[in-house]
Amino acid sequence: MTVIHEKLVDTNAKMRARDVSVYYGDKKAIDEVSIDISPDYVTAFIGPSGCGKSTFLRCFNRMNDTIPVARVTGTIELEDEDIHGNAMDVVQLRARVGMVFQKPNPFPKSIYENIAYGPKIHGLAEKKPDVDEVVEKSLTRAGLWDEVKDRLDESGTALSGGQQQRLCIARAIAVDPEVILMDEPCSALDPIATAKIEELIDELSGRYAIVIVTHSMQQAARVSQRTAFFHLGKMVEYGPTSDIFTNPIEKRTQDYITGRYG
Amino acid sequence: MSPITLILIAIGLGLAGWLAGRAKAWSFQKSDANVRLVARPTYHAWYVAVWVVLPVLAFIALWSFLAPQLVMQTVLASPGAEGLPSFGFQRDSILSEARAVATGSAQGVFNSDAEALIEPFREAISHYNLIGLVVTVMIAFAGGAFAFLRVKPDFRARTRVERTVMIVLLLASLVAILTTFGIFASLVFETVRFFGMVSPIDFLFGSFWGPDPMSNPEAADGTRYGAIPLFWGTIFIGAIIAMIVAIPLGLMSAIYLTQYANPKLRAWVKPALEILAGVPTVVYGYFAALTVAPAIRDMAVAVGISGASTESALAAGVVMGVMIIPFVSSMADDSIAAVPSAMRDGSLAMGATQSETIRRVLFPAALPGIVAGVMLAVSRAIGETMIVVMAASTAANLTVNPLERMTTVTVQIVKMLTGEGSFDHPATLSAFALGFVLFMVTLALNFIALRVVKRFREAYD
Repeated sequence: MTVIHEKLVDTNAKMRARDVSVYYGDKKAIDEVSIDISPDYVTAFIGPSGCGKSTFLRCFNRMNDTIPVARVTGTIELEDEDIHGNAMDVVQLRARVGMVFQKPNPFPKSIYENIAYGPKIHGLAEKKPDVDEVVEKSLTRAGLWDEVKDRLDESGTALSGGQQQRLCIARAIAVDPEVILMDEPCSALDPIATAKIEELIDELSGRYAIVIVTHSMQQAARVSQRTAFFHLGKMVEYGPTSDIFTNPIEKRTQDYITGRYG
Repeated sequence: MSPITLILIAIGLGLAGWLAGRAKAWSFQKSDANVRLVARPTYHAWYVAVWVVLPVLAFIALWSFLAPQLVMQTVLASPGAEGLPSFGFQRDSILSEARAVATGSAQGVFNSDAEALIEPFREAISHYNLIGLVVTVMIAFAGGAFAFLRVKPDFRARTRVERTVMIVLLLASLVAILTTFGIFASLVFETVRFFGMVSPIDFLFGSFWGPDPMSNPEAADGTRYGAIPLFWGTIFIGAIIAMIVAIPLGLMSAIYLTQYANPKLRAWVKPALEILAGVPTVVYGYFAALTVAPAIRDMAVAVGISGASTESALAAGVVMGVMIIPFVSSMADDSIAAVPSAMRDGSLAMGATQSETIRRVLFPAALPGIVAGVMLAVSRAIGETMIVVMAASTAANLTVNPLERMTTVTVQIVKMLTGEGSFDHPATLSAFALGFVLFMVTLALNFIALRVVKRFREAYD
């Protein structure tokens, strides 16, 4: 049974998952998870490797659709709209719910083209001055503008790992999403680049609902205000980050937090 | 005694050496448990076997070349050889007749002069056979003994054996490389001879091709050796018409197979497509000549184009295009599949549709590999002969009308070499000059393709 802390109950939700299960073939990777994602805070999913936290994250923008054997049951809503329903197209959903991946994956195009890609395919900016403006705004918000403004036509893959990841965040911001999903965004980065990304997450929170999967408990403690602990495909406990780390209700959460396993 | 027998003997002795070497190496371990062999007994065994077999093989190679000459010398020195005619065909035939009887491959002699030589031949052959056998066995034992004595616990047999294996592999790869150089050298040699008779300017820039193998070879008419119609025919059929067919079809099937087809269908369609590459080109030739070419002519006539021929560049080009679809599609398939799935996921997560992802992310990232595939396909197409012979005729024709007859470089090479001209006639030699040009062009295309692929590998990460 999932423990949900009382303080969270009346939170208004940007996204709402109810009884979501994910199957890979016959294997159940996520077992009946329900959660509300707040628009105002950073929500962290923590848990040992293989607990299903990344799989669950990928349900929110239907990225599990790209895996042929994956099957998702239950309902997920974005602003009270069912994301699997007829009213919502997966293309629109992904424009509203952006994603940053574990390994930086800029396209092998120029920095400018990397940012302009989303706005162009969604028809948000067609003319050159409009696109220029979106590129500058997105890069500025991602804290990368000053570093790259003189070399926008260089390849995105030529940047350092940390810069590439900020480029990917800028790319996600460029289509003006409502939610940003981050799947262990710092696991391929060194501590300095990690610190910059964490700072950036802090700045972006409030403007976007952010959900971050991390295997680093310190990171969850630093950047998030809400934390959900996953274990063996189940959500064990969900509450304010400070409570989860200082005063967990479930014994399994306590064991994980104190490093007993994981 | 034939070389085969000697080789069998060498292998037998090698086996004995192998067993002896292993037994000796084992005995060190058995007699004292503290002894640790540097190499396992099998390596000692191989070391001895190599020392037995390789020197013997070298000797056999030399001997099989040397022995017949020694036999011949002995026979010629015998009294029976005095009456032989001193030169020419008759002398050779008498000698070979006598030898045939002596070795048992013929029953009796036709020419009575050979009678006297049978016995000397028999003696000389058995004499040298004995020598060959004795030397073979001696070399085998000498090599084996040398190696056997070196088998000691601290002897590094493994490194020696592995070095020998490496040298053998190196020799094997040198054979292929040296063959390429040999082909190139013979081409250059004959090409230079050709250009001694016909000026390269006439050849490379002339627009009339009609070598006459019956003309006087001393006064070659350079104006009949203009290869431009051939180059144009090759480019038009192989690089233009065939590519117009192969590139779109190959790319679209690659995109379908990598991005849309479900795995079951892919497991079926991909091998089926690759079977196309295994169909003999002469079979494509039938298809082009008997089915496609008449169909194209009928169609041309139906839309009111008169004078369409049953032999057309279009028919050859289209069928050739079908033939190289698998080259384009499998290279494109590989390079699209080699684009990291993170690129695809990144694009899909931005809300791009599958076709936008393919068009704007996967395709550009895979482009260098696709270009390389196309280059290889072009070099394959311009080297193709059978389809053109059967469907596009052998008549040189400088035109841009795809419904007319046309011919290519390779077809003319075949025609010139299988013609009735003698080997020092410029018409025959022109085949080598054409081959040389073709070789250089395909070499350049392959070189460019390899360079492009190499750069492609460094594209991400």
